[in-house]
Amino acid sequence: MTAFLLANIAPLMFGTLVLTLLLGYPVAFSLAAVGLGFGLLGIELGLLSPALFQALPERVWGVMSNETLLAIPFFTFMGLVLERSGMAEDLLDTIGQLFGPVRGGLAFAVILVGALLAATTGVVAASVISMGLISLPIMLRYGYDRRLASGVIAASGTLAQIIPPSLVLIIMADQLGRSVGDLYAGAFIPGLVLTGLYLGFVGLVTLIRPDRAPALPLAARGIREPDGGSGIPSLLALLGLAVATALAFEWLYYEAGAPLDAKIVVTTAAGMGLAFALAVVNRLLGLRLLSRIAEQVTFVLIPPLALVFLVLGTIFLGVATPTEGGAMGATGALIMALARRRLSLPLLRQAMESTAKLSAFVLFILIGARVFSLTFYGVNGHLWVEHLLAGLPGGELGFLIVVNLLVFLLAFFLDFFELAFIIVPLLGPVADKLGIDLVWFGILLAINMQTSFMHPPFGFALFYLRSVAPARAYLDKLTGRTMEPVTTGQIYWGAIPFVGIQVLMVALVIAFPQMVMVYQGTAPTVDPSQVEISLPPVQAPAAAPADDLGAAFGAGAPSADPKAGEGSKDQPPGDLTDLFK
Amino acid sequence: MQALLRSARFIDGINTAIGRSVVWLILAATLISAGNALIRYTLDISSNAWLELQWYLFSAVFLLAAPYTLLKNEMVRIDVVAGHLSRRTQVWIDVVGTLLFLLPMALLIAVLSWPGFVQALERQEVSSNAGGLMVWPARALIPLGFALLALQGVSELIKRVAFLAGRGPDPGAQGREKTAEELLAQDIARGREDAAP
Repeated sequence: MTAFLLANIAPLMFGTLVLTLLLGYPVAFSLAAVGLGFGLLGIELGLLSPALFQALPERVWGVMSNETLLAIPFFTFMGLVLERSGMAEDLLDTIGQLFGPVRGGLAFAVILVGALLAATTGVVAASVISMGLISLPIMLRYGYDRRLASGVIAASGTLAQIIPPSLVLIIMADQLGRSVGDLYAGAFIPGLVLTGLYLGFVGLVTLIRPDRAPALPLAARGIREPDGGSGIPSLLALLGLAVATALAFEWLYYEAGAPLDAKIVVTTAAGMGLAFALAVVNRLLGLRLLSRIAEQVTFVLIPPLALVFLVLGTIFLGVATPTEGGAMGATGALIMALARRRLSLPLLRQAMESTAKLSAFVLFILIGARVFSLTFYGVNGHLWVEHLLAGLPGGELGFLIVVNLLVFLLAFFLDFFELAFIIVPLLGPVADKLGIDLVWFGILLAINMQTSFMHPPFGFALFYLRSVAPARAYLDKLTGRTMEPVTTGQIYWGAIPFVGIQVLMVALVIAFPQMVMVYQGTAPTVDPSQVEISLPPVQAPAAAPADDLGAAFGAGAPSADPKAGEGSKDQPPGDLTDLFK
Repeated sequence: MQALLRSARFIDGINTAIGRSVVWLILAATLISAGNALIRYTLDISSNAWLELQWYLFSAVFLLAAPYTLLKNEMVRIDVVAGHLSRRTQVWIDVVGTLLFLLPMALLIAVLSWPGFVQALERQEVSSNAGGLMVWPARALIPLGFALLALQGVSELIKRVAFLAGRGPDPGAQGREKTAEELLAQDIARGREDAAP
């Protein structure tokens, strides 16, 4: 019995964890308890030092003093303030009116607004709820296919997971020991491509089955010129002018080979700035140079784009750390909500309270995971996992396929936090040893984990959509017709093509790592270690093995990108970057 | 039983008051962080004290709001399997989980972290960063936070045992307030009503 325990303690510990988690007791405490229980067993068996638990306070201290994690409350707070600021409603109304008369237009509008909200609020629930309440009834009114309508909304909401600034990427960066700035820069293009795939899918549907996403009658557009014209030419002219400004700006200020993400953010800001200035001048002087729709679109797009610039721009340009970018975004959101007279004391309180509760449960899962890992690494569990995964046939590609398949399947049952805190730290070191770029790896997993929001029947995005979609027949106020409810089955079926797109996107990122690798050419992001003198190293727990992450870096393993070796992107494994040590 | 339930209510009251107060530190940390970045960029002044203060504040938030989060039943669970169990079985799992998982963990960390706090206080330890802060207030947060968490665990235990004994309401439904998502939905729906033609 003892011999069996000694030989198999790591797999037993992992199996116990799975069973314990399924009991449904809070994840944070279950993780910690399994760590403590097996720690006692390990001490009893002589595998671990009796002083093992003395390292516990330092583990908590390590989580506390980890500045990357500060980004969690900042970005959450920003999203919660923004979701109540009315920004999403304005965007959906205006962009919906703009695209509505095109076939599939409302679906396109939902995807574009979803991407824009993702780049600002980053809260899946808020995006899905806003779109479910505002866009879904309009789509139903004009005869959109119910599965398509709900699928588009649920999927567009989950874009918040991958388009920076997202919580997923912060936690992924922390768990993989990479900088948040690098993950943001790396996720930028995959996020845009994914948005493009969603748009492409809707486009395809409108070609094959036009009846599923009909164009809205022109009369449905509320913002019109006094003479009844649409005002679109004026908008197109303004857009052309903005694009020309952006291009001219790019041509004037950037040399070839400048980092793409910073360039996109800055030139877009320049173009939008011009459009905004024109719209303001036009309104103030009553020039009537712009049509109403042109003016309206400009005014609704400015707040989110200004926030994107404030957050991502400052991070990509190296002005602020990602943590500070989050704080600036939250401050900007507060100012915006104040300006729109949407910020009341109860609302502020509620946003802070939600932020505090989310922070508490996320950080306690992390503390639980660190207690678990204290024992798990002590009994060489990491070597067991490495042995399991490193021996896979097919080398790097084989590993990536198996790991992604595993995460895809686990995403049916686990949500993102559990995956990120339990699975990712086990996979990261193995990937690193195989010479896989961890930023690329992290983004692959993040795209994959996005499916955990869309998987029927447990996906959160589907759950939130269900909570706001009409469950009973209702009377449409505008047309006076009785509308059929949206069934749960329709919501589930609607999500499936988008889960497929997600899988396709994972394959694309595996096939074209360049999409992510552009992060290596980005401007130097602010390195927190230069901002302050770094923290004293956390005492290594007695039982923990030597840091093998550092050794793996020195090994100079081959990488998918020739530039991978250069630059300062490979942060030295600091005290907390390798959380599970 | 009634005395026990009264003490459970007392604990709930303490942790609610603490949890609701510390949320303001989020606003403070946000403004400090944003201000710090702006000042560093415009005036090129940087201070370790302000950087450290941010994580001191955030640590206070998540450690001291954790008991409140537990009280509100918002600690994340995996309910793929557990969601199908009967309510009584779920409560039983909570009782066993609190006794075997939560309480030993919270008490162990609270006890083990105490000497670190005492030492930091006695030696007046200062952070090793130039111009850094005193260490003891942050060190104090660990035993304090975990002791309060253990205390909340006791309260949850009492309420669940009372429920199983038929002497109390379902603790899962306690203080059921509208979630942030429900409030948002309500807000938008109301806005729609006004806007509807």
